[in-house]
Amino acid sequence: MNGGVREGAPVLLMDNVSFFYAGERSGAGVAGISLSLCAGELALLCGRSGCGKTTVTRLANGLAPHFYEGTVAGSVRVCGLDVARAELWETARLVGSVFQNPKSQFYNVDVRGEVAFGCENLGFDPADIERRVDDAVREFDLAPLLDASIFSLSGGQKQRVACASATATSPRLVVLDEPSSNLDFETIARLRAAIVRWKESGAAVLVAEHRIHYLDGLADQVIYLDEGRIAHRWSGEEFARLDDAERVRLGLRARSVADALRFPERSRLAPDVPSRSDDGRAGQTPRKAAKPEKPPIRFEKLTADYRKNGAFERALDVPSLELPQASVTALVGPCGAGKSTFAEAVCGLNRCEGTMEIDGERLGKRDRRRRCFMVMQNVNHQLFAESVLDEVLLGMTGDDRGQRALSILRDLDLDELAQAHPLSLSGGQRQRVAIAQALATDRPLIVYDEPTSGLDLAHMRQVAETIRGVRARDATQIVITHDPEFVLSCCTHVAMMENGRIADTFPLCEETANRLADLFLAYDRP
Amino acid sequence: MAHNSTAPSAAAKTGDRLGGKDLINIGIFTAIYFVVVFAVACLGFIPILMAAICGIIPLIAGIPYMLFLTRARKFGMITILGLLTGIIMFITGMGYFSIATGLICGLIADLIWKSGGYASASRAVLSHGVFSCWIIGNFLPFLITADTYLPTVRAQYGDAYVDELMTYLQPEMYPVLLIACFVTGIIGGFIGRAILKKHFERAGIA
Amino acid sequence: MEFLQSGAGVRTVRLDPRTKIVLLFAVSTVLLLGGNGPAMFAVRTTMLLFPFALLAVSVRVRVAVLMLAAYLGTYALAVFAAPALSGVANAFVVASATVVSRFVPTLALAYFVFATTTVSEFMAAMARMRMPDWITIPLSVLFRFFPTLGEEARAIGAAMRMRGISPLRNGVTYVECALVPLMSCAVSIGEDLSAAALARGLGGPAKRTNVCAIGFGALDIAVIAVSAAATALLAASLTFPGAIA
Repeated sequence: MNGGVREGAPVLLMDNVSFFYAGERSGAGVAGISLSLCAGELALLCGRSGCGKTTVTRLANGLAPHFYEGTVAGSVRVCGLDVARAELWETARLVGSVFQNPKSQFYNVDVRGEVAFGCENLGFDPADIERRVDDAVREFDLAPLLDASIFSLSGGQKQRVACASATATSPRLVVLDEPSSNLDFETIARLRAAIVRWKESGAAVLVAEHRIHYLDGLADQVIYLDEGRIAHRWSGEEFARLDDAERVRLGLRARSVADALRFPERSRLAPDVPSRSDDGRAGQTPRKAAKPEKPPIRFEKLTADYRKNGAFERALDVPSLELPQASVTALVGPCGAGKSTFAEAVCGLNRCEGTMEIDGERLGKRDRRRRCFMVMQNVNHQLFAESVLDEVLLGMTGDDRGQRALSILRDLDLDELAQAHPLSLSGGQRQRVAIAQALATDRPLIVYDEPTSGLDLAHMRQVAETIRGVRARDATQIVITHDPEFVLSCCTHVAMMENGRIADTFPLCEETANRLADLFLAYDRP
Repeated sequence: MAHNSTAPSAAAKTGDRLGGKDLINIGIFTAIYFVVVFAVACLGFIPILMAAICGIIPLIAGIPYMLFLTRARKFGMITILGLLTGIIMFITGMGYFSIATGLICGLIADLIWKSGGYASASRAVLSHGVFSCWIIGNFLPFLITADTYLPTVRAQYGDAYVDELMTYLQPEMYPVLLIACFVTGIIGGFIGRAILKKHFERAGIA
Repeated sequence: MEFLQSGAGVRTVRLDPRTKIVLLFAVSTVLLLGGNGPAMFAVRTTMLLFPFALLAVSVRVRVAVLMLAAYLGTYALAVFAAPALSGVANAFVVASATVVSRFVPTLALAYFVFATTTVSEFMAAMARMRMPDWITIPLSVLFRFFPTLGEEARAIGAAMRMRGISPLRNGVTYVECALVPLMSCAVSIGEDLSAAALARGLGGPAKRTNVCAIGFGALDIAVIAVSAAATALLAASLTFPGAIA
């Protein structure tokens, strides 16, 4: 395609580009962006949330200004095509895109149709499309999924379909906007493999990302944006040599799993709940043994089934599990291990059996719905009221509810936003509103479903701090996560899940941190 | 600087033609609109409520409709919404009269919305009143096919049932139903505007 | 969500989308207009059982049996309750049952159509019928969006249960609590969906090609023939009442 491009000429060339959104809510504008990317090269765009890196990807695939309206200055060229002026379908011949949210980027309901979608739109010859689809299906190992409805796939599988669909049109430039946000370690490793293949096949790759560890060794240029401008540029090697303190100062996540384990928070393992810290201080007796005041929360015979082709299959089987009260347990494990099913069963939200015992009280499924609380991955599903304060008051009882609500909001640093509409807040603030709901109704157990997906370092730490604060209020917490930095910054225990069972549990301390490291490293390279 | 030029905005470029974004929006809002209609219509399986759903559907359907109008800035979008709603009603077995009423009411509602420059709040409410009249299409089979349909029913279920049914579905009931659709459509329009202000505008998605 | 699982490969009945449209039209017409006499009763019964049969052979036996049971149950209720009850009670029970039994067959057919048509096939068929983009694109998005709304609604429902928000306790607020997050999530998914589709060239001037093979086979011809015959018989019986008895 497009044989007119000179050998060695940049595939993507941005020259002093600025873009400002017409509506203020669509994203952060950028100014003075210059960037040149050759075939087979990868440029990584990084920076804090709202620094404008997503906007740069939108400029490269033409969505800005053709979909996200606004004013653009400067020139963006892909293989010579003026993307800011060309129509989107012209750009689509040269650029393939993969977006952040796997569930909202597919148009078809079947996998095959989705992989072929781009080629069909561009009017390729059907025989040619067949060949391209077959190639992409082989390359991304989709053959077992071809007959499935996309709605039945996991997030990681959907993202693989998205990559295959982007590959099928043989793009000269592949643009990825935070593609790993919703993925687990195993799928991230596959994403890395896909990127390697794109580079080898001579495509240029532009990635905007917070979680950058999986790009270790792949980036040829690293561009750091701050408030819409390029603040730093490094070559891949320079970036790898950057010292940790500098990286953390810039608000960047770990560059590799090794980085994550050198993470400064590690020194604070099981740290700052003074009232009971004597048992948890770095690397000593497990918390379980040394806590007489309150009996642990105990789950018994927790099982859940899901229906597959009319028959029931066991998705969760936990004969017994104890969680110390006021602990924070990281629930880790590969995709499809049953972590979400476990979380739903704990909160009594799915078809499940079994009981939970807390302070001598046995809770069945219905009781758990009132006593446990889940902070969902998409927190928008649980925001109902017209103001933050109303949201917290909804379901509270007692004459002093107004007082208590305000005090909870203060604790969560939301008091200034009490009258704001929950949906007008930032993602992190919304998450804290959901946590406020749990605190307002005195839930002894709070479960979080991937609370740090797609967060930069500062926001991840903020979540960790909130969780430590909730812990100080004696609530027990379970966190489903794929984020080693996060586990090290606020969790006290680790539970590993495999095939619907809890394979292992251990308190997190200096020695056991290495077991966690092994776990994550095992996924890091396929 | 030579490269310092401003690209025309997407709206200006596509002009009044419906672009891909508009068409996808129509599909999405038809889905939301239909889900609301269908959820309410399930109440209508109880026959005494069947006529009453005429009045209930527009009260709630005004919410997605008003949010849709914030995206409908070109002529034709409401017409297509009406047509598609009719087609979906047909597919789910409500007969094909809704396709015609959806198209006609959609077209008039579109003209009303356009006459307000796609911004007038009162035209938006009026537009929803007119649009809601498509619902009458679901009842037309009883009127138009009464001669062939009723004897069949009478033979199957007996006179008592048919007589009871006909007290609700006399031909003179239809203008009443139509007016009910329109009036509740207006009320639903106000409800939709209120929710728009209360939630969607503050959330920044309106 | 089981509804709308469009597996491209595992289909025993492969009908052209256009055939399905003809069938939808015929079943809808026959069930709506009815017609009198034993001959038309036979025609109606045939057209009525058609959807269940199609559902059953296209891998969804369980659903077909459930829907057929719902149909037969409500039908029996209507027939047997009619003589036994009187007045309002009669109208109430019989009419509920008739409404359900009237819609179950068409819903079964709609289920079959949605579950066995991929977006790609649908778009190919629409292109063959020279349908313009402004009808093809919204309709295809509609196809894909119902299951999405189902997923969102389920998650929102779980969140509402967790907060103890119920129709009984909260009344009208319940509707607001359900609709506001549903619509805001739908709008943001829709935004992403549009961006992803347009970035892959949807809506361009190039003539869209299709990999899926659509076209009429023997089965299509049979289905169309039956549909046409049923509609013709119905028309005849309506024009000349008594001629077909």
